[in-house]
Amino acid sequence: MAASDLSRRAFLARIGVLGASVTLLPQCAGPDATGTELSALGLNLIVDLLRPVLGQLARDTLNGFVAFSVPGQDAYSRAQGTPRGEPGGIEAGGTDFLIQNLDRFLPFPDEIVRPAASALVTALRDLPLPIAGNLIFGLLGPSVVTIRLVDDAVRFILENDSNAPLSLPVALLLNYVATVVNPLSLHGAFVSPFARLSFADKARAMAQLETSQSQLVALIDGQVPQPLKASVSGLLQFLGGALHEFAAFGSFGESPRFDPRTRSLTGRPVGWQLTGFLPDNQTGDGWDDLLGYYQDRREVTDA
Amino acid sequence: MRDVIVIGAGGGGPVVAKELAQRGLSVLLLEAGARHGNPRAEWTHFENDANNPLTGFLRFGPADRNKPGWFRELPQNSFLFQVSGVGGTTQHYFGNCPRAYPGVFAGYDRPDAGAYDTAHRFPFRYDDLVPYYEWVEATLPVQTAAMGRKERTFFDGCETLGIPVQTTKTTLGDSFRPQQNAILQPGGTAGLTRDVSRLAFPQATGCTQCGYCLQGCMEPIRAPRNLFAKRSTDNSYVPMALTADAWSPHGKPVTLIADAFVTRILTETRGGELVATGVTWRVGATGEVHTETAQVVVMAGGTTESPRLWLNSGLPNPNDWVGRGYTDHYFDLMVGLFDKDTDSSKGPASAARAEFPGRGGMENIGLGPALQAFAMQLSDSGSRGFYTNGRGFTGPWDGPAGRPIGPELKDALMNGVNRLLNILIITDDDVEAQNRVLLSALPGDEHGPVPKVVFKPRNRTARTLANREFLVRRATDLLRGAGAKKVFRLDWAPLILHVQSTMRMGQSADDSVLDDTAEARWVKRLFIADNSALANALGGPNPTLTSQALATRTAEKIFQRYFGGDPWVGRETPVVSTADAVTQAVIARGL
Repeated sequence: MAASDLSRRAFLARIGVLGASVTLLPQCAGPDATGTELSALGLNLIVDLLRPVLGQLARDTLNGFVAFSVPGQDAYSRAQGTPRGEPGGIEAGGTDFLIQNLDRFLPFPDEIVRPAASALVTALRDLPLPIAGNLIFGLLGPSVVTIRLVDDAVRFILENDSNAPLSLPVALLLNYVATVVNPLSLHGAFVSPFARLSFADKARAMAQLETSQSQLVALIDGQVPQPLKASVSGLLQFLGGALHEFAAFGSFGESPRFDPRTRSLTGRPVGWQLTGFLPDNQTGDGWDDLLGYYQDRREVTDA
Repeated sequence: MRDVIVIGAGGGGPVVAKELAQRGLSVLLLEAGARHGNPRAEWTHFENDANNPLTGFLRFGPADRNKPGWFRELPQNSFLFQVSGVGGTTQHYFGNCPRAYPGVFAGYDRPDAGAYDTAHRFPFRYDDLVPYYEWVEATLPVQTAAMGRKERTFFDGCETLGIPVQTTKTTLGDSFRPQQNAILQPGGTAGLTRDVSRLAFPQATGCTQCGYCLQGCMEPIRAPRNLFAKRSTDNSYVPMALTADAWSPHGKPVTLIADAFVTRILTETRGGELVATGVTWRVGATGEVHTETAQVVVMAGGTTESPRLWLNSGLPNPNDWVGRGYTDHYFDLMVGLFDKDTDSSKGPASAARAEFPGRGGMENIGLGPALQAFAMQLSDSGSRGFYTNGRGFTGPWDGPAGRPIGPELKDALMNGVNRLLNILIITDDDVEAQNRVLLSALPGDEHGPVPKVVFKPRNRTARTLANREFLVRRATDLLRGAGAKKVFRLDWAPLILHVQSTMRMGQSADDSVLDDTAEARWVKRLFIADNSALANALGGPNPTLTSQALATRTAEKIFQRYFGGDPWVGRETPVVSTADAVTQAVIARGL
């Protein structure tokens, strides 16, 4: 196996794509599909097969993040070691909120998403791997042919797709930093390495994104041409904060229980239950909260 | 040709439009976002529906909510809280109307004169602006705010600080007080009941204490638009501008066009001087492009958009100060958890404040659960207990500064969104050239190159940094005094919401864009009437009132200089925006 193939294999494993492909791609292509048969399908069909796989990977990864932000009764919260007796962000619909907002409305132009994604697939593989290589080589399932196909298809999707969902590069980035902070996350439950981390390791992974001096930020910047160089690293720092803010906002907001047709709620939002907001579930046009005026003063003047 | 074209129907533009319409000028008011002409049919009280920065009806984006918002580049951890639509950011503001501290104006000579941003004072005296403050305070109108439980809690804390109660509009020393708010105070059943059947106008008048200032004010139910409680410009100055003929003897109603994004200021050279002659705008729904000429053009698109429009129009920038000097009050947030009710999510979002001239100020802010969670995640100090991002300051608050995450965040919020008190730290921050708006190198949108907003919070001046550290300690004292059991310091990353001074007027032509009348130094007949025109951060007070007072003064200067008129402030009695003549016209015209 050539060194470049090992490098690709390692990289695809670290962003979660290799594991997801091993688990999910055969289900899509048929249980007996081999690398050689897949190659006969051509890149376009592989891309089509891979899209839902990557979608599931993104969802699994962001489930891991939402549970990190607002843990609940879900499997991701248990896996990270912070099980709760009451519902959390996942039950509140926080994952759907993140995906919808990242994919449909975050107005990052394609021209920034694509170089950022491209930097991901070309630059991150050059980061020193602080782990024993055999952890990656342990993923012996897919053939070299399959790895090349998957690699080509991922790159195609990230670099050429005019509607590239932003949730995907975000998820790949989280998975990448997950394997940096804990190489053992390459294996285990879930599809996403990030989702496999302990709570403390997830925090360490987020520190990689948020710290301006991190090796990750510097390396990605190094791969992006001017005049976008500082823009990509700046947006990464923006993203490092925004993920926390959006996951929390979505988890405590009304959106999963909101019917835009009637502009009313279909049930009590989880975040309202958790915080004791509006116990009668009415969004009210007023409160009996008037206590009067401080020192009974209703007017002030300079005169 | 119009007499005047005003770009932007936010906090400042409608003030100029109304004042000049009252004088009988022909005014065109252009707004990039939605009209929001029928809030009861378009809005809700829900946080995500209203405030989601990407999809909410109070986002910064096109009138059509199915289209993505407008991208601006933020090359740092930060949040730029812009709002488009008629009313601009006053749609979601809290109506807080403190006057600027006198120390930020020319000629200030009290003993604490050296405590302010002395290099960037206003080019006139505080006393010169007072008549314009009074005019705006009467027009909106501004009133002393009532108390709810969260204000009572805030005052309980203030009473332990050893500072007096301020009973004047002008702030001269450390003190605390109820807010002077641009909110009609509760009348009738308002504030006394939660029974919706008893909360319709006219049984209820003014603020019903609903708790949704941030979601746009449409209370009381069935009130005429100009009698909604909060005096955002969509409820005050815009209705007046559209009905000027009904309440002013010589008035001429303003023409308002929404969904109209101005992309260019037109100019020509006359007698060796560059002169503004009109504007070009793009219609959001159709993509059509229109041009109209005017004798005077007023930019009021906002502190981020005005420099962008200036630069996209290719206007001169000889001293390189266009877009520079961005001030944002370098906010921080302190959150105190209580084992008693504070009713933080009820009532007007902020009705109490404390003043520390030379340092800045602080105020209580009430939020719903989603924005409370959002507010407790924004941090430049990383995640408490796990990483500090090089900061994580310790002090009298509990634990290191930073965002609580996971179980700690959840436990804090499960303590109850109505059993906490937020204190917003409003720092008196210095004008600095490094904090700025420039054009992004990323691809532009349908309106041209997009703005890039650069803040370097870790490299602020020593005075700015010290002011913030002073205020967070006083706020901690306040929260402890009020009985807080646990105090968080978030150490917010820049929340760019109080925005000032990117097109500043100044005493020196070397570091300002506008002269002392708010006319552009290098383009005649071009004025600026949004917060970008402010000379500095006002010492910390919330900027809208001062911006509106300045816009009133600017309207008067325009009328005198280019239309041969006489000044009116101090000579006439202002018409209040709730006047019956305005109300009747609003009803008759279906506004």
